[in-house]
Formats: sequence, C-alpha cells, structure tokens
Amino acid sequence: MSHYDLVIIGAGHAGCEAARAAARMGRRVGLCTLSRETVATMPCNPAIGGTAKGHLVREIDALGGLMGEAIDATGIQFKLLNRSRGPAVWSPRAQADKQRYSRWILASLEREPRIEWIFGVAAEIVVRDNAVRGLRMADGRLLNCQALVVTAGTFLNGLIHIGREQRPAGRYGEPPSTALAESLKRLEFRWGRLKTGTPPRLHRDTIEWDRLEVARGDDQPTPFSFMTDRIRNPQINCHLVHTNEKVHALVRTHLDDSPLFNGQIKGIGPRYCPSLEDKVVRFPGRERHQVFLEPEGIDVEQIYVNGMSMCLPREVQRAIIRNLPGLEAATLLRPGYAVEYDFIQPTELRPTLETKRLKNLYLAGQVNGTSGYEEAAGQGLIAGINAARTIAGDEPLVLRRDEAYLAVMIDDLTTQGCLEPYRLFTSRAEHRLLLRIDNADLRLTSHGWNIGLVTKERWERFVDRRRRFEQNLKTLRKTTVTLPDGCRVRASEAIRRPQLRLKSLIDSGEIELKSEEKTKILDLATVETELKYEGYLKRQMAAVEREQQQAECKIPQGFIYAQIPGLSAEVVERLTQTLPTTLGQARRIPGMTPAAIAILGSLLLRGSKRTLGKDKQNRDIMHAGHERKGHDPKARAPRRSIRASAQR
Amino acid sequence: MFNTDDTIVAIATPPGRGGIGVVRLSGPNAQSIAGALLGNRAQLKPRTATLATLEEIASDNDTERIDQVLVTSFPGPASYTGDDVVELSAHGSPVVLEAIVKAAMRSGARLAEPGEFTLRGFLNGRIDLVQAEAVADLVDSVTPLQARLAYDQLEGTLSTEIRAIDTTLFDLIAGLEASLDFPEEGYHFIDRRKTVTAIVDISARISGLLAGGRRGRVIREGRQVAIIGSPNTGKSSIFNGLVGAGRAIVTDVAGTTRDLVTETIDVCGVPVRLVDTAGIRDTDNAVEVEGVLRARSVMAVADLSLLVFDQSRPFDNSDLQLLEETSSYRRLIVANKGDLPLAWSSDPFTAVSSRIVKATATTEAGLEALREALTAELVAEEPRRDSPAITNTRHLDLLERARGELDRAAQAVSTEISEEFVLADLQRARAILEEITGQRTTEDLLQHIFSRFCIGK
Ligand SMILES: Nc1nc2c(ncn2[C@@H]2O[C@H](COP(=O)(O)OP(=O)(O)OP(=O)(O)O)[C@@H](O)[C@H]2O)c(=O)[nH]1
Ligand SMILES: [Mg+2]
Repeated sequence: MSHYDLVIIGAGHAGCEAARAAARMGRRVGLCTLSRETVATMPCNPAIGGTAKGHLVREIDALGGLMGEAIDATGIQFKLLNRSRGPAVWSPRAQADKQRYSRWILASLEREPRIEWIFGVAAEIVVRDNAVRGLRMADGRLLNCQALVVTAGTFLNGLIHIGREQRPAGRYGEPPSTALAESLKRLEFRWGRLKTGTPPRLHRDTIEWDRLEVARGDDQPTPFSFMTDRIRNPQINCHLVHTNEKVHALVRTHLDDSPLFNGQIKGIGPRYCPSLEDKVVRFPGRERHQVFLEPEGIDVEQIYVNGMSMCLPREVQRAIIRNLPGLEAATLLRPGYAVEYDFIQPTELRPTLETKRLKNLYLAGQVNGTSGYEEAAGQGLIAGINAARTIAGDEPLVLRRDEAYLAVMIDDLTTQGCLEPYRLFTSRAEHRLLLRIDNADLRLTSHGWNIGLVTKERWERFVDRRRRFEQNLKTLRKTTVTLPDGCRVRASEAIRRPQLRLKSLIDSGEIELKSEEKTKILDLATVETELKYEGYLKRQMAAVEREQQQAECKIPQGFIYAQIPGLSAEVVERLTQTLPTTLGQARRIPGMTPAAIAILGSLLLRGSKRTLGKDKQNRDIMHAGHERKGHDPKARAPRRSIRASAQR
Repeated sequence: MFNTDDTIVAIATPPGRGGIGVVRLSGPNAQSIAGALLGNRAQLKPRTATLATLEEIASDNDTERIDQVLVTSFPGPASYTGDDVVELSAHGSPVVLEAIVKAAMRSGARLAEPGEFTLRGFLNGRIDLVQAEAVADLVDSVTPLQARLAYDQLEGTLSTEIRAIDTTLFDLIAGLEASLDFPEEGYHFIDRRKTVTAIVDISARISGLLAGGRRGRVIREGRQVAIIGSPNTGKSSIFNGLVGAGRAIVTDVAGTTRDLVTETIDVCGVPVRLVDTAGIRDTDNAVEVEGVLRARSVMAVADLSLLVFDQSRPFDNSDLQLLEETSSYRRLIVANKGDLPLAWSSDPFTAVSSRIVKATATTEAGLEALREALTAELVAEEPRRDSPAITNTRHLDLLERARGELDRAAQAVSTEISEEFVLADLQRARAILEEITGQRTTEDLLQHIFSRFCIGK
C-alpha cells in the first residue's frame, strides 16, 4: 500500500498542472495515467490560446503554472489576435507541435522529485466518513491519499461515433473509464452528458499546397510566458480553403448517416464550435465556410482540418475532403468523429473545486463540463493548489472575478452549471478592461509567490518589472513633452489623445522610459493602458467596489432556503442545489429572480440587525437553520389601531 | 422582513367618505376568513361579485348584521398579490370598513403593514419594480389625472417601453461582443457609422421617455401659480373665485393683502398651488414693504404668474412697469372688473404675446375661461396612453444616467476607440436600464423602494 499527500487521476492538461503545482508546494504527488505516451496530449486542435483562452494561459503562467512555458517552447506559429484593438482584448494564440508539447511537459514533470508516476487504470474512489481516503486501481493496488483530484477528461463512459459506427472510447484508440464512472456515480453527483467533435486528419504529402491560400503568423511572435524572452522555434504557415456547394450538398445527402442528426447522439455539443453538419443545416444561406489546414507538428505528416469537425461515415468524409480545391487527392489518415461523455455538474463544486458532497475530492477539466485545453489547465492548477493547501490546513486560494479569468470561469461553472461544453470568452468577464494579458503578472504573481508556487527566479523578474512599471508611470506623470502640433503638455495627458501612441513619443525622443528589451511591448502596453484609458479603468474599478459589497455578503453554511418566506419552490430548489456562499454568487444562479435576491439581500444585509432581531424564527434561519417551529398566524397581534390607508 | 405566508387584511380604498370602500384580504386563509365573516352562507365563485350579508361574530356569540357587501374572490396565483385574495366592497363609511377589518382580524387575519399587498405582489413575481412604485404613486395621488398616469404605469406601459429599449441595446451589444470574441471567423459587425447611429437612436428613445417624464413630474408634484398685480385690482377676489371659498380677505381698501395666502386647487387634474400676494406699489409702510418683497420672490419662483389688472382704472406707469418686469416670466394676463366701464384709452397689451383673459371676479364671469387658460399653460397636452409618462424621480434619474452612458459610448465610437471600451459604456447603460425594471436589483435600489413602503418598521 502506497501513501501520498495527493493522488491525481489523469495526466492531461488539468492533471499535469495540478500535479506540478502540488509538488512544487511541497506535497508528495501520485500522478495516475495509462502510460507515458498519454501525458498532455492534444486530441483535438493543435493549438493553444485564442480569445480569453490566451488570457487564461497568461494567468496560469503568472501563478507559476506550466502551460505558458510549454507552448512557448514548442509553438510553431504565433499570432496575437485582436491586435488592431485595445490591449484588453489582445489574445495570444499559437499552433503547437503536438508531440513536442507532450514530451516537453512529460520532461518537466519528470524533473519534479515529488511526483511519482502510477501507470494503470483507476477504478474506485475509497471513501470513509464522507471524505476521500484513497484510490483503488483496476489491478487491485490501493493508493492512500489525503486528497484526490479527478481529471478524467472525456473518459467517463466515453462513446465515439463515426457514421453509424459506435465504440466505447475515451479518446481515439484509448479505452473509456467505466469503472471509475461507476464509482463516481455511486457518490450521487448530478450528471449530464455532453458531446464534442473533432475533424479528420489528412496526410501532408497528398495536399497540393501551392494551390492554397497562405495564413501566416506574426513576424514577431508574442510569447505566452512572462519567463520567455524569445520564441526560438522556426515558424510555419497554415493554409486556408473554403467549403463549396458540392460539399454542402454531400452533407445534406448523407445527413441521415450523421449521428448528430439521426438521433444517435444524445449529448449536447458546443454551439460556439459547430460541426460541419450543423453549419450546413443551421446556416443554409452561407455559401462557404472557412477551413484552416494546420500541421500538427514540424516534422509530422498529420494535417488538422480546422473548421470541419464532423462524424459522417468515413467514405462520405473522404468524398467531402476531395471536393475541396487542392485536396482532390488527399489521403484521410483518420476520420473526424464525435465523442459523447459523462460530466459532473460543476454546481456540485465549491469555488475551490472541491466537491460539496465529499471532502478532499477535487474535480478539474472536461469532467466538469468545460472544453478546451486552457480551461482544463486552469482548473487543474486551481484544484492542485487548493488540494495542496487544504491538506496542510491553509486557507484555499479563491480569486475574484475582477482579478482573473480563472475566477470568472470557476465562478460561472460553480454557480451556473453547464448546459453545453463551457468555453471562456472575454465577454463573460464583466470587468474585461482590468483583465489584460499585459497585467496578468501584476494581478496574480504575488498570489503565486505567497502560496509557494512561483520560483525565486520568476519572483525577482516580476519585482523588477513591477518597479519599472511604477517608475515609468511616475516619469510619464512628471515629464512635459512637445507634440507634433507644438503643444507642450504632460506626457500622461498627451497619451490620452486618441491618435497618439506612447511608442511615437519614445521614438521621437520626447520621453525615455525604462524597459527590458525582451518584454518591451508589454511593459509599454501596461503603462500606456493605465494612462490612456484611466477614465475607463476607474469607472470599472468603481463598479468592482460596488459589487464587492454584495459579493462579500456571506450566506451562512446550512442556510435553509425552504424556510424563507416569499421564495418560490423553484428558486428554493435552485438555491438548495447550488448552495451559494455569497449573495453575489446567488445573484448569478440562472433562474434567480430579482425578488428572490431582494429577499435574501434584506435578510442578510439588513435583517440580521433589525428585522430578524425581533422575529425569533428568522433569527434561527440566520444562525443555523433549526427545525421550523409551528407557525401561528395570530401570533402577531395588531400593534396599533386600524388606519384607513390606501397605501396598504 | 415580515412573514409573507400568513393572511393579511386592510382597507384598500383612500380614506374619507367615498361611495364604496373596499377591504382586501390576502393569504392562504383569505377564503376561509371571508367565509367566517359571511357566516359561510355565500358560495364564492372566482372573479364574480356576489352580494352577501356580512355578519360579525360578536364575542358574546350574538350575530349582528353589519352591512350588505359585494364579495369577490381572486384565487392565487392569478391575483394582485399572487396569493388567494378576497375583496369585500361595502358602503364606504370608515366605521363600517374598520369593523370589517376588525372582524377579519378576530378570524385570524393580520393587519397589513403599509405597502404589504404590493410587496407580496412583487415577491410573488406578479408585478415588477416599476409597477410596485406605480402603486405607491397611485395611492399617493390626489387628483384623478395623477391616478390615471399612475395607472398607466401600473399596467406596464413604461416597463414595456424600457424593455424594448433594453432589447435593442442588447442586440447592439451582442454584435459588438461577437466581433471581439470571434476575430477570426470572418464576422464584420463593426461599421463605425452604423454603430453610432444605433447608439444615438437608443439615446433618442430615452430622451423621448424623459420628455414625457418631465410632464409626468409636473403632474406628480404640481405647479405653483402666483397672483400678482397693483393694489386693489381684485387679486384676492380672483383667488377666492378659483379656490371656490372665501379664503382671502377682500376689502375695498388698497393694500388689504399683506402676507402670502396659499391654497391647492385642481386645474384639470393638475394640482396647483395658488398664491395670493400683496399688491405691488412703492410704499413707506414697513409691513406692506415686506409684503411686496414676498410677492416679488414668489413671482420669481412660480411656474406661472397671473397678472391682474383693473380695467376700470387708467393703465398707469406702475402697471406698465409690472408688464416689463414680468416680460421674461411665464404669465397670464387677467383684465378684471369687466362689469365696470372700461377706463383704458388704448389696448395696453398690443405688444404682449401672453394669453389675456377678461374676467369679473365679483360675478365669477370669465373664471371658467381662466381655468382653461391655466390648463393650457400648465399641461401643454393631454397625456396619451401610448406615451408612458414617468412620474418617478428615481426613474428619471436612472434614465438620465443611462442616456449619459450611451452618449459617452457614441462619442467614444467616433474617436475610433476600440470596441471593448465602447462596450464598457454600453454595458453600464444596460445595467442601469435593468435597474429600472428590476432585472438587476441592487441593495441600494431595494433600500429606496422598501423605505418608501415602510417595510419592517
Ligand atoms: N365691480 C367689481 N369689483 C371688484 C371686482 N373684483 C374685485 N372687486 C372689488 O375690488 C376691491 C378689491 O378687491 P380685492 O380682491 O381685495 O383686491 P386685491 O387686488 O386683493 O387688493 P389688495 O390685496 O389690497 O392688493 C373689493 O372691494 C372687491 O369687491 C370685479 O370684478 N368687479
Ligand atoms: Mg388682496
């Protein structure tokens, strides 16, 4: 029998972050996966980042996580999305060399002395006294642990569909986890079933590349990690083709063979990432859809056909591909497919990602209904951090929505649950202007340092950078510059002019700022944003403060909603299912009525002192939720004589 | 916060001696309590008025008949409060109504707190916040027109319009958000000019509501009208005529009125505070000097001045001076004492654009025309049902703030700033609009509303 502080099931993007974080924080970690070959794989698109996801990777990095450095080391095409817009929505994205990415992560985990690999199939969660005690493997091994992090991805009762053909599988060519699913189901969590899909892979050498439109990355790649000075890998191009009427007709003809449309698939797929079948059926007016051909690595032959996820029969997929110009002779290495899998409703989780039902059990990644490597990694990091802290008796790390996209995601998940696979968007963040890639370190690195996750090297770099930032702000507020029109104003004011960029002031020698050559762009972006958009940022900060009051209004544990007068049965049910810990969370639960929040709010905010003070029954609700006492309507005798008033 | 699951009772019609008074019961026992009052003889058909004899079960078990009543039962949830409601209409003497309430209380009902019926309606999702506030206006309203406006609001015309505006705004926001979150999908939502037009359009719709709102405020808060003129021209007589009572002292001595005399009258539905003042002239009398001073200060703040001239007396310099002094004010000219021979050699008002009314205060001739002129001046147009007027200061304030955010957004778009900043403004505008219809309620808002309904005191 082996003893661990922490056992983690699954070494995908969530599991790897969780393992490394806990190990770096001094815990002994057992990382359970099928084999070395299944670590940090990318079963779908060979890319990291994108809008909001890129922000997430920056935040993971700022806290001391893995993903940012991994993609910087293995990325083969970098692009900063939304570059024409403001810095708040700049989002880095990169194509990854899949194999190198996995190998890079594997190597860095192998360098961690506190991580021990456990190869095999996880089978049963061992529970005693409502807390997790260990994990039993399919081969009978028993692993004792103080906390368990489950990152089972799409493996729980995974079912792959290609045309009418179905086979149980976690990922292409890997068996599903049915025993683990059974074990989790016995714990009585609320479940759902989701679906996701992936497109076909083509053979590189069977494509006529020179007939395709080239899609380039940035000439100067922007790294994800605050620790990366420069991207060293050679950069590749992607290519663009468009679907056509012939392709659409083929899809329509064979719709009956698509499990998505013949009733074979019950799980709900992501609306933001429609399959080719969906695109054709739901947008009949669109003559063409774009399709990106993305290499899965520098020296690999698989080409990923981005934008064409489908689960039609293999033969139909081949015909469709061959109707695209330049792909007439393309070889299909692997067909696209859809996978259905079970997930646990994340409303079962606390903001720490620990389950509400079972102590010391943490869930992270796709098992919580999310999609995307970045979402998984972010949850893995937070689950790993909190599991590591909780078993040591430390306060968990719970970030605020105005502090990080990580918090926006976890708060969305735990208060609203999932109806479709959850993907992060910048529009989910109500304080988007504050959550930028350039200031992720200013927002989070101190947290990472305080919990012992950030290395000394990163911390020193950060302290330097923060000092530079503060000095530059001062300089800009002090220095007077001459503008092209001859005006002499303070630099901080000059920057507020819409057309004026900080860079032009520096280039013309009007002002000199401190900057590291390597981090120049972001160094400047942070000061420029802070000054140029000061008004906007201040207004957003003011809103944060207002919401803070509501958000910080705590709902005592064990609050019995059924006893609160005036709440509808439906609202009571939602509140009881979700068990929000603050009024702010309660407000975001779908289906909550303003009236219900009004009642809760007055109970919590005003009630404690005045109203509840004289009503014993409500006071009881407030302070523990005892059994409700019999209610006598006459108990409240009229206190004053009748006033004939129409205001009643 | 009090219980919302017991049965409450209160008189639901305004105080005073109306023709009919209504007692309302709401809560799970409303039916059975009403049944007890009616001696369980009347079968209550939902939503149908039933004539019944109300009997009070006295303590000594004597059954004493107190009134003939019309009883209507409104089973929940389709009732005003969402609970079971029973309404008893009786002859409106306060004594009778209070007796009914007391009897209901003996049968287990609790006396409702002010606003509690409305609160239950709100809590049960029967009415939204706008409507809840409208109820308060309705019951506060003094005059029929006010009641009508409040009623319009209660019906949700305002909520509907604000929701429509909110929906348009949401569409716009959705487009802009999509272009930010999907930069590579080939969406091009952003045509700066179209975006500006759309924002300005929404802002204009809010302006429309606000314009109606100012009229609403007039009606809600009433207007002040000063009666001004030289001594002895008949100001106090006109005042008494409009008030319909001998409120102010009238003598043939010039300089009778010294202090301000105030009375509220109803002019076509608008409550008007009418102020009689001292006749304006140069004088050494200390009391009269003070009176003239007060007259002038009232004139300065009044919404409208009634300038009263005596047409049986030659138009002199002091009259002329008064005309000039008031040229920038809103005013109405009254040529009084029409029963006496005209002493003006020429029309003194040829250069004046103000409305002129001929009157004889002593016989009340021309007073009706004067009322009509007042109405025309004070209520520019009759409120129509399809243009919701906002009678609530909080709504005016919120709409103005929402418009401010929209204007900021429109300006931001034209400076070529990137969408995320424009969106920051637009999202705030939307949050503000939702505060009106109660979609996004904050503690501040509730405190405001609940303090108005004296909840929990
Ligand atoms: N014949 C006639 N007499 C009028 C008329 N209106 C007022 N009077 C008389 O004029 C005198 C003065 O009337 P008041 O109403 O006191 O005049 P006033 O403008 O208030 O006077 P001060 O308060 O002294 O400034 C009284 O004797 C009234 O009866 C009218 O229309 N016709
Ligand atoms: Mg007088």
